[in-house]
Amino acid sequence: MLLRGAGGALALPLLTDLDPRLAHADMPAFPKRFIVLFSPNGTIPGAWAASGSGPTFALGDIMTPLAAHQQDLIVLQNLEMSAALHSPGGDAHGLGMGCLLTATELLAGDQFKAGMGGAGSGWPGGISIDQFIANRVGMATKFPSLEFSVKRMSGSIWSRLSYRGAATPVAPEDDPSVAFDRIFGSIGVDPALLARDRQRKISVLDAVVGQYAALSPRLSKSDRTKIDTHLAALHDLETRIKAAAGSLPATCTKPMRPALTATADVTYNDSGMEVVNPSADVDVPERHQVLRSLLVSALACDLTRVASIIMAPSRSDIVLNWLGIPDSHHDLSHHGDSDTDAQQKLVKINQWYATQVAALISALKAVPEGTGTLFDNTVILWCNELGIGNAHSHTNIPFLLAGSAGGFFKTGQSLKFPDGTAQNDLFVSIAQALGQSDVKSFGNAQYCKGPLPGLAV
Amino acid sequence: MSSSAPHSPPLLALVLGGALLSCTGMVQGGRGTPSTSDSSPNPTMTLGVQCDPSPKPGRSPLRRLNQQEYKHTISDLLGVDTSIVATFPPDEASLGFLNNADALVVTGLLAESYMTAAITFATAAVAKLNTLLPCDPASAGEEVCALAFITAFGQRAFRRPLAADEVALFQGVYQQGRSGGGFADGIELAVEAFIQSPRFLYRVELANAPAGGQNVVSVDGYEMASRLSYFLWGTMPDAELFSAAASGKLSAPADIETEVRRMVRDPRARRSVAEFHNEWLGLGELAGATKDPATYPAWNDTIRAEVQQEGANFVDHVFWEDGRLETLLTAPYSYLNQDLAHYYGVSGPSGTAYERAEFPANQRAGILTQGALLSALAKPNQTAPVLRGKFVREMLLCQQLSPPPPNIVITPPDVRPDATTRQRFTQHSKDPNCAVCHQLMDPLGFGFENYDAVGQFRATDQGFPVDASGQLINTDVDGKFTGAVELAQKLATSAEVRQCLVKQWFRYAVGRAETDDDQCTLQNLGSEFDSAKHDMRELSVKIASSDAFRYRSADGGGN
Repeated sequence: MLLRGAGGALALPLLTDLDPRLAHADMPAFPKRFIVLFSPNGTIPGAWAASGSGPTFALGDIMTPLAAHQQDLIVLQNLEMSAALHSPGGDAHGLGMGCLLTATELLAGDQFKAGMGGAGSGWPGGISIDQFIANRVGMATKFPSLEFSVKRMSGSIWSRLSYRGAATPVAPEDDPSVAFDRIFGSIGVDPALLARDRQRKISVLDAVVGQYAALSPRLSKSDRTKIDTHLAALHDLETRIKAAAGSLPATCTKPMRPALTATADVTYNDSGMEVVNPSADVDVPERHQVLRSLLVSALACDLTRVASIIMAPSRSDIVLNWLGIPDSHHDLSHHGDSDTDAQQKLVKINQWYATQVAALISALKAVPEGTGTLFDNTVILWCNELGIGNAHSHTNIPFLLAGSAGGFFKTGQSLKFPDGTAQNDLFVSIAQALGQSDVKSFGNAQYCKGPLPGLAV
Repeated sequence: MSSSAPHSPPLLALVLGGALLSCTGMVQGGRGTPSTSDSSPNPTMTLGVQCDPSPKPGRSPLRRLNQQEYKHTISDLLGVDTSIVATFPPDEASLGFLNNADALVVTGLLAESYMTAAITFATAAVAKLNTLLPCDPASAGEEVCALAFITAFGQRAFRRPLAADEVALFQGVYQQGRSGGGFADGIELAVEAFIQSPRFLYRVELANAPAGGQNVVSVDGYEMASRLSYFLWGTMPDAELFSAAASGKLSAPADIETEVRRMVRDPRARRSVAEFHNEWLGLGELAGATKDPATYPAWNDTIRAEVQQEGANFVDHVFWEDGRLETLLTAPYSYLNQDLAHYYGVSGPSGTAYERAEFPANQRAGILTQGALLSALAKPNQTAPVLRGKFVREMLLCQQLSPPPPNIVITPPDVRPDATTRQRFTQHSKDPNCAVCHQLMDPLGFGFENYDAVGQFRATDQGFPVDASGQLINTDVDGKFTGAVELAQKLATSAEVRQCLVKQWFRYAVGRAETDDDQCTLQNLGSEFDSAKHDMRELSVKIASSDAFRYRSADGGGN
């Protein structure tokens, strides 16, 4: 299947007609894309870290599957999650997951239990970087952002990565065939039928939106937040439906509808621990492939410019049987450094996730865009809720960037930052790379020193 | 457990310094931090709390229908197939329950799911238009009939009569559909809009204005009807509830109790009670229980489904025919079909139907010793005393235990032919760093060692006799016991277990964790539960007719 990027054939003037904000935007030749890939349970720093610096740096063991793309990578060493280090409470995995993309402390609360008898926590306290960027760039596309999860998970601080704002988790797509229908369902359908369908939805949504707007001011603050969040989702939906008229490039190729449906709901016991179920994990490699192909098609069709894949939830008990490893990933991650068998297995597991990252890079490189490829205008962030798995640390988080976002980032280097450098600054850099040059801080501003030095060209 | 587990210095300090303090946490308003030195802790959480008679409803956050409630409500309202709801993103869980008001928010994917589903439902409903309409548009006239529909249907969708501006709004939606197509298109569009409205998807409580300076206000009849129907039935009110609301019969406690007693006799109450137990005890989690076929050849998908059905049947029979908490915990019988009777080695049942069967003396007692929980609380190839002990602590005693600290091996020790499970877990008691928490779990879990990881009874483990002796500490029924039957009998006499059940029902009823404001309500419910001889049916009746349930906080969820 040949996919074509969003350049050239995409009717940009039409879009600016639809959304006046775009007429003023600094519109690059090709849209820039931001993708987050998450894998869980921390890393083995010695096997992850790159050695040397500059373009001749050597990749760590875990990164070997990415060797073919080495000159497209930026290895970011020694970044910490300052917000997680200062949160009032929370289990180490949930704390890391909640602070990862929000770079903000968790809310106080008792919804999610803590480790070590410390205080529990509420949901994260702010918007995540992907949603922040989607708010800025997402109105140009049918979907402001797309969130995928390989496994189906009840919502909790351990299973959600993206947040629309404080205490507002974004539920990801976890059913490949349902996701396909939602994302690509209207492609190739008779335009007259689509127009009728659009008109119908807009008529109803207009009436519905009015009711939420009228109810909101009558409520107390916490209840109002709930209704306002719903209202904002309806506004997004309505804008998206209205914009759909102009945003489907004629060159967009509809992918095949996947046969896969959602995994069985991953269940958690009362402490939020995933119930181990090895037999349910056998099709996970196929699920990665299917979601990746949906994502690449959606990007190629310019249906979205911001996306994420939760490859497994934080603290995942997934069993990667296909690697010949019969143990739960989370269980393994608790083993001490002296347990070489466990360490080797963990390296292997993390290598497998690196293989998934590499496969996405290759797939994006296979989509022509102008004289280059879709990957040229993309930046991928691969991240984790912990630094060292068995220490449950929130320092030295394994952050990796792949792709220059249209020549903004200087790739092919490994950078080590001074102690105390927070991922907040990385997110400032990413926002700027996506064309948001006014962004000077993100998350809890007290951890921000400005964009990370050495990243931009 | 591997001896290679290193402990980082700060962790050690925390464990030793914190003692039991670091093992347990309490939800706000819970019993004080437990202590091992106190062998008879105060069984109630409200010692010293002065309760005045004025109602204290606590926080009243805006509640969204969860997936189950939404599905049942659509089904009752429209009589259409609701299978599309299974494609919605799963509800957010909190404290084990899926109806926590603070956890249920709506972002993009769910809003779009509501829209897609609304189109499906409205299309299906209009396909049998005559059953949906209160009138015939041909004879009554389209406009008149549309207005009659909007008024009647709207009252059921919003669970209260529509205000004039709402009627006008939906007439407008109808008109848009009508002008683009026909009468049915107009009705279809109105239905679509109704079931995406906040008054449908949320339980908005704003009817009565609080008196000046007061933060406590009574709910009105229609709000009460919805409170009762969603708590007791998990769906919208029926015609009788609506009529009671309209005639002011849902404000006096006696009237409410009459209504509640009618409602608990309805089959919908059975469904709701089953849902409570599924969420509280995690009975639904069995779907994922996979076992090693070499170790447990008797276990298969059929048995898994059957033990799950057994658990559901047992809860249903005990709750509705007996009602006592003690029976739930200690009944020496269960409900089995022939297959399961054979599996358990019990005689009696001889077909596919589930019938009551007695277990051999002192072999099993109540829900804790049935295949459903025993196989869920076990590993694929061995039992899990830690999980079983933890379950008793958290679910039955409402004591929260923290997850294991970082930097230790939590993989269960490998099965060995030369040692029993109990022997393989000795490091938990020998190593003081482990024992500090595990003394709360393992000695309870060892009591279940007579049941293997698939719930079958065993006298030996790896050829050695099972040692099922254990000890309860840090409860109001402390002491040694042998076997799960004796443990269950001790728990059945515990005031802490009773108070925990009250708390679990309360969380389920009000859709939130308890707070300090709820102490008197919980205390009163505890006394009423005791007066009712621990009849769980009375507990749900008492919650539904309690003062707290008839009032709300004027500032809803707060601030």
